[in-house]
Amino acid sequence: MGRRRRRVDRGAAVGALPKAIAALSRTLPAGPSPEIFRRAKFDRPEAAPALWQLLFRVLSPLSADGASASPAQEAQVRAVKSELRSQGYPRRALAQLPEDGSQGSRELLLALAWLLARGPLLERLLAQTRVRLGDEIPLCECEALARPGAPVPRVEADGPVDIRHLQWLMGKLRFQWRKLITSQQEQCALLGKIHSYTRGCHSDRSLGHLSVAETELLRDAEGGQQLLRRLESENVCLEAALRWRRQELVFWRWMDTVLGTCPPEASQPTFVPRIPERGAGEWELVARELQALQEELRGAAEPRRAAWEARVGGWGPEWSAVQRASREAVGLELAALQRAWERGGAAAQPHGPCRLVKSDAGASGGPGLRAAQVIEVLRSREACLEAVLCQLQRQCRQELARLAGALPGLIWILPPGR
Amino acid sequence: MSIVTVQLGQCGNQIGFEVFDALYSDSHCPQGLCSKRENEVYQASCKERFFSEEENGVPIARAVLVDMEPKVINQTLSKAAQSGRWKYGQHSCFCQKQGSGNNWAYGYSVHGPRHEESIMNLIQKEVEKCDCLSGFFIIMSMAGGTGSGLGAFVTQNLQDHYSNSLKMNQIIWPYGTGEVIVQNYNSILTLSHLYRSSDALLVHENDAVHKICAKLMNIKQISFSDINQVLAHQLGSVFQPTYSMEGSYHYRRNPLGELMENLVPHPEFKMLGIRNIPQMSENSLAYSTFTWAGLLKHLRQMLISNSKMEEGIDWQVRPPLSRLPTLGKVSLNRELHFNTSIANLVILRGKDVHSADLGGFKDPALYTSWLAPVNAFNVWKTQRAFSKYEKSAALVSNSQFLLKPLDTIVGKAWNMFASKAYIHQYTKFGIEEEDFLDSFTLLEQVVASYCNL
Repeated sequence: MGRRRRRVDRGAAVGALPKAIAALSRTLPAGPSPEIFRRAKFDRPEAAPALWQLLFRVLSPLSADGASASPAQEAQVRAVKSELRSQGYPRRALAQLPEDGSQGSRELLLALAWLLARGPLLERLLAQTRVRLGDEIPLCECEALARPGAPVPRVEADGPVDIRHLQWLMGKLRFQWRKLITSQQEQCALLGKIHSYTRGCHSDRSLGHLSVAETELLRDAEGGQQLLRRLESENVCLEAALRWRRQELVFWRWMDTVLGTCPPEASQPTFVPRIPERGAGEWELVARELQALQEELRGAAEPRRAAWEARVGGWGPEWSAVQRASREAVGLELAALQRAWERGGAAAQPHGPCRLVKSDAGASGGPGLRAAQVIEVLRSREACLEAVLCQLQRQCRQELARLAGALPGLIWILPPGR
Repeated sequence: MSIVTVQLGQCGNQIGFEVFDALYSDSHCPQGLCSKRENEVYQASCKERFFSEEENGVPIARAVLVDMEPKVINQTLSKAAQSGRWKYGQHSCFCQKQGSGNNWAYGYSVHGPRHEESIMNLIQKEVEKCDCLSGFFIIMSMAGGTGSGLGAFVTQNLQDHYSNSLKMNQIIWPYGTGEVIVQNYNSILTLSHLYRSSDALLVHENDAVHKICAKLMNIKQISFSDINQVLAHQLGSVFQPTYSMEGSYHYRRNPLGELMENLVPHPEFKMLGIRNIPQMSENSLAYSTFTWAGLLKHLRQMLISNSKMEEGIDWQVRPPLSRLPTLGKVSLNRELHFNTSIANLVILRGKDVHSADLGGFKDPALYTSWLAPVNAFNVWKTQRAFSKYEKSAALVSNSQFLLKPLDTIVGKAWNMFASKAYIHQYTKFGIEEEDFLDSFTLLEQVVASYCNL
């Protein structure tokens, strides 16, 4: 009796796992099939590329509708490794996987599970790709600040750079900034017009008027069809997410078994690159020479450092105390700034973009924020930042005055400005 | 994106009228040499930028007229209204009953603050009519009384109230042998104040335009109206619509912004000169044909030899063979004949414009060492012909064009200042010797910067 029940349970469980994984996969961008997941448990190499791609899509910042072609395999692998490292992923085995993306499917599966378990990954991904019907404006910058985006390529200048060129580039940036602000003002004026003209057209009384997307829907039938298709595919994703939530326990129990199949991690103090067999003798020679050089450097540097420290008067313990003190001071200032912001603002502002709705002046409060409140919060933050800016400028001026005083033969000519 | 024009003083108002007239005439010119549909798009683009709509359909210039006496403003208003094609807004002008006696200090320190609110209100009303404000033109003379002092004050105010909008001052450089004895004082005060608060100073030299009228247009009795028309033609050939990029047939939305970004991002180099080719009387136009190669060759030599027009160009001037970075002061005597450019913008309009070869302008020898031609040179094109010229080319240049004239004016002003001549006229109204010294310092710095290219 018990045995049959267990068999039935196992049978039900066997069916439930692929369904759960399928639901998870449907929710994720570039989600691979359940078969890939199964092969990954046994660290099969053919499962690795799909999982690298999945992790890359999950971890990289949102690109515009996935329009840009995904970068080469090595670039993807490097990006995934670096992003996981910066998020604090603990398993070293992943960092050691080869960059051609041919191996390590089990490690990748573990990494995915770690990301899922850590925080609201699916919710965040779904929120990023949401179809937006309204006219949205961002209320806070934290999303943009948390992900600084692709690193700017560093161009080494050959030879000295003329400062006039730098000033030229700064000036161009300033002009572009002003053009941006002008464009935003134009956008606001036009949005205002559309909102006024379409007053009374929306079926939802609380909104009252159409947004740009909705107006386009009425004007352009083809665009409307496309929008409908996007909404439908979003629905499919959301339903998959709900299914996943109901069934995810099965997945986690299975992940425990995956973890169980991993060999225990050997403790390695440092990351040692794999040395190819061919030429091993040469490598040893090089390694020995490097070590000798290192000893020599250490021998040369230590007495110099000691001499310098003696000259500046025992900066050893005092310097770290100074560092600690300044770090604390900065932390206090930052906290004070944030408190000032919170005091000035209403209850915590929602993160991410909000829909713009134009209502009559006397309209009683519905849900959502009033523009006047948001403006007040932004103004108080602006005032705080201006105060900090003024203080920093004052410090700069004092420093300049000190420098000017220290060099008596020098005349300082300030740039034309008021 | 729209441009609001502020016309200041006699000079500014007369020129402003000619500019709007030239823009309107060109955009409604039937000989555009392009399809009807393209012509309509061209017209609409020009209209949105410089005119606003009224119910009965007569376009209204986006302009504010300011003068301290009513005569010129009334003339300007009636000339525009008479044409029946476009007009100025009824309530767009501000004038008083008295002049300011060519006293810069009076214009800056008395008229300015006294009438600040009224003038800024007028400008605000004009700005509100724009869906999108690109920036301001401020047309004024450099050496007069009302135009210059008040113009400097108004520009400063625009900087304070519309700090994100772009400002281009169209400055009329006076005749070398002008009649106003303090014109050099006025000039240096105007230039130094504008340098601080404006983004670009587009200079029109009276001497140069006068020569164009005499030699090229064959006008016997040259009136101010003739000069202003030539000037307006030059401005129009720069700011009328052009394609937004190579291969596109959409018109550029923000020529003022792009011009500034390409030519004047550096705070020390804000002086722009303008050249136009060909220029001739309408009678001769019917009998002339041009090739792009010929036009561009002449334009390039006009740039290099600092010639103001296509006649009398000095073909001996050549670019130096090696463009080494200049670390010290360059020997003035020899090198000044060659006009070094920081950045150039060439605008081509007319037939077969895509076949024009601009290689000559991309030569690194033309430019200063710290800016490569790919960044320093820009070209705008449209195949829609401008104002009956089958082919025309304009050049806006940030180069040493104005180095000599500026140096001359500063020198003359300094000589007068050294003997304190006529200073009391200025100190009487709050412009102290300190202000003069500040102006000299700033302009000497500008001269030195342009010299050391």
